[in-house]
Amino acid sequence: MTVPLTCSQRLVNWARVKSPWVTIFNTGACNACDIEIIACLMPRFDVERFGILAKGSPRHADIMIITGHVTLKQASRLRRVWEQIPEPKYVIAMGACGASGGVFHGLYNMVENVDSVIPVDVYVAGCPPRPDEIINAVVTCLNLLKEDIAHGGKEWRQKKAFEFPAKETIAGEVSV
Amino acid sequence: MTKGLMLDFVTDRMKEFGTVEQVRSNRIRIVTTMDKVRDAIKRSQEQLGCDRLITISAADNGRTLELIYHLTGPHRMVISLAIELPRDVPETPTISDIFLSAGVYERQIHDLFGIFFKGNPNLKKIILNEDWPENEYPLRKDWKPDPGKFYGGIKVERI
Amino acid sequence: MPEVVVPIGPHHPALKEPVNFKVIADGEKIVRLELDISYNHRGIEKAAEQRDFIRVLPLLERVCGICSHSHSTAFAKGIEEIMHLEIPPRAQYIRTIIAELERMHSHLLWLGVAAHEIGFNTLFMWTWRDREAVQDTLEEMSGNRVHYGMNEVGGVRRDLTPEQVNAALVRLSHLEERIKKYVDMVNNQETLLLRFRGIGKMSKEEALKYGAVGPTARASGVDYDARSDDPYIAYKEVPWRVVTDTHGDVYGRTCVRIGELGESLKIVRYCLEHLPEGPIRVTTPKAAPKGEILSRYEAPRGEVAHFIRTNGTDKVERLDIRTPTLANWTSVAMCLVNQNLADIPVIVAAIDPCLSCTSRIAVVNNHTGRAGIITLDELRRRSRARYQRLE
Repeated sequence: MTVPLTCSQRLVNWARVKSPWVTIFNTGACNACDIEIIACLMPRFDVERFGILAKGSPRHADIMIITGHVTLKQASRLRRVWEQIPEPKYVIAMGACGASGGVFHGLYNMVENVDSVIPVDVYVAGCPPRPDEIINAVVTCLNLLKEDIAHGGKEWRQKKAFEFPAKETIAGEVSV
Repeated sequence: MTKGLMLDFVTDRMKEFGTVEQVRSNRIRIVTTMDKVRDAIKRSQEQLGCDRLITISAADNGRTLELIYHLTGPHRMVISLAIELPRDVPETPTISDIFLSAGVYERQIHDLFGIFFKGNPNLKKIILNEDWPENEYPLRKDWKPDPGKFYGGIKVERI
Repeated sequence: MPEVVVPIGPHHPALKEPVNFKVIADGEKIVRLELDISYNHRGIEKAAEQRDFIRVLPLLERVCGICSHSHSTAFAKGIEEIMHLEIPPRAQYIRTIIAELERMHSHLLWLGVAAHEIGFNTLFMWTWRDREAVQDTLEEMSGNRVHYGMNEVGGVRRDLTPEQVNAALVRLSHLEERIKKYVDMVNNQETLLLRFRGIGKMSKEEALKYGAVGPTARASGVDYDARSDDPYIAYKEVPWRVVTDTHGDVYGRTCVRIGELGESLKIVRYCLEHLPEGPIRVTTPKAAPKGEILSRYEAPRGEVAHFIRTNGTDKVERLDIRTPTLANWTSVAMCLVNQNLADIPVIVAAIDPCLSCTSRIAVVNNHTGRAGIITLDELRRRSRARYQRLE
C-alpha cells in the first residue's frame, strides 16, 4: 500500500536518501571497527562525496553505527543515546560482535547481544568489516529507508510471533 | 650501569627476605612475606638499582591469593618478589608511595580479586562498573556469575 | 574549588574506546585527574583460562584493534618459552615483519589523530592515506587489514611468497619518500611547533618516577625499550637503534614516533631482503608444562607485559595483561597538573591512548554556583582560539 506524499514530503525524503548523517557509538569494542569507519572518511574511500557525514551528536544523525559487543555499563547509555535520535532512525550493528558477540560471546561483563538493548536494522559481517562493506551497509539502510517510506512506516518489517496452527479434534481423536 | 646482575650479588642483599632463585637468564625470583615486602622493595630500589615497576600480577592458586611485583632497572634484569595472602583476609601494605605507578595497578587488583591495600589513598572502582555488587570478585577461581544478581546494565526487556 | 567533571560521550570521528576521567580544576589550571576505565572491561583474562592455546589467540588479538599482533605474539612467545621450543628463523622474521608493519600503521594513525586534535586536518588526511599502503601490504600477506591471525604457538600460520615480498618492497620505497616529508614538516612547520612545544613536559626523573613506558618515556631521554632490554624474535640479528629525544614534551613524543617510523621501515626492508629459507612452524605438544613467565613485548604504545602461569594442561591457569596505556596513565595525570584546560586533548592524545577520550565537560564554578557544559569540540575550538590570539 503506498501512501500519497505531498511535494514537500517528497523533497524531504529525497534529501534524507541523498545525505544520511551517521553517528558512531562504541559499546566496548576493541577499536578495529572504529578505525575502519574512520578509514571510510579518509581520501581512499571518501564517503563524504556521497553526502555521508560523521556527526558527534545523536540528535543530528539518521543512522547509528554500533561497534563492539555491549558491556553492562554501556547498555543503559546506549539505550539513552538511541532514544535521542529523531525518527526515522536506523541502526547498523557492525561486525561479528554486533551479530552474536564474536569472540566475546558469553563473557561475564557483557549483555547477551545488541538486539536485547535496541532494535537493529542491518548487520554487517566481518571482524572488522572492510570500509567497502560499511559503505554497502549504509546503502542497504538507504534502500530500507526508501521501502519504509513507500510502505508508510516500519511496521511491515516487524516479525510477528510464530503461531502454531490450530489443532482439530474429532470426538476424542487428536490429530497433529 | 653494567648489564646484568649476578645472582650472588642479589642473594647477598636479599636473602634475609626469603629464598632467591634465578628462573631465567634475566629474571630472579624472590619469595617473601607480606610484612617484609615493603622493605624488600625499598632495598631493591636502593641497593639493586631497580628504578621501574613493570607491573603487579595477581593470581589465585586455589588455596591462597598471590601477588608478584616485577621490578627492573638499567641493569635490565627483572626482579620478581612473590608473596602469598590468605583468602579470607587478603590485606597487604601499599607500595604506591615508593612507586607512583603502583596506585593504578593496586586499584585494578582490588576490583578483580578483593585484595585490600592498606594505605592506598584512592582505592575506588576503576575497572568494574559502579552497579557491581560488593564482595563479588570476578577473577577468583571460585566465582561464577549469579543469575539472580544485578551486575549493572539495564533490566532486559525484549523489544 | 570549582570542579570540572568529564563524563562519557562517544562523539567524535577520531574517537576510539570510551573512557571517563574526572578533571578537578581551579579556574583554568588543572589540579587533579581521576580515572574510570570500566566502559569496555570485557573479562578477557577470565575467558583465557577456559580456552586452549589455539582458541585463545583470536581472543587475545582482539584485546586491541591497533596492537593486535602485539598481544598474540607476546602470548605465543611466552608459551613457547615455557614449552622450551625454538621456532624456526623464517617464522621469526615473518613475525618481525608483521610487528614492524603494525608499528608503522599505528604511528601514522597517531600522527593523523594528533594533527586532528590541533585542527591540522590536512595532515590527518595525508597520513591516513599513506597508512593505506601499509594496510594493503598487510592484507596481501595475511588476508585482513587488522587482526592478522598470523601467530600460532610454534610459529606462523602463513608463508610469504616472492611476489608479496617484491610488492611490499615497492610500496616501502614510496612510503620512504612520504616519511621524509613528515620529518621535514615536524622540523619546520610553525603550527606544529607552537602547539606542541612546552606542553606536557616531563623530565627524565619524572618519567622514571611515574613509570612511563614507550615513546612517552623515550621522549624524555629514558631509553627502556623491550626490544633491546629483552630481545625476542629477530631483533638480535637485525641492525636497528632505539630512538630517544630530550625534549620531554609533546613535540618530543612526535619526534620519537616519526623516528621510529623510519627505523621500522628499515627493519622491514632488511627482513624482507634477508628472509631465511626453511619451515615456518614446529610441532608443539598439546599441553604446556607447569611454569611461570613474564613475557614482555614492545607494542607501538609502549611495553605490554603478559604474566602467564601454566599448570600442565592445554589451557593457561592465569593470564595477566598489563597494557601500556595503564602504565602511562599516572604520568598523564601528573603532567596535566598546572597545565591549561585547553591543553587536555593534546596531552592525552600524546600518550597515544588505547582508550578514547571523552566528549562533554561540565564546568561548575563553586563561587558563583553557575554550571556550564562544554563539549570536546568546543574545547578544541577554545584551545585553537587561544593559540590564535597568542600569535
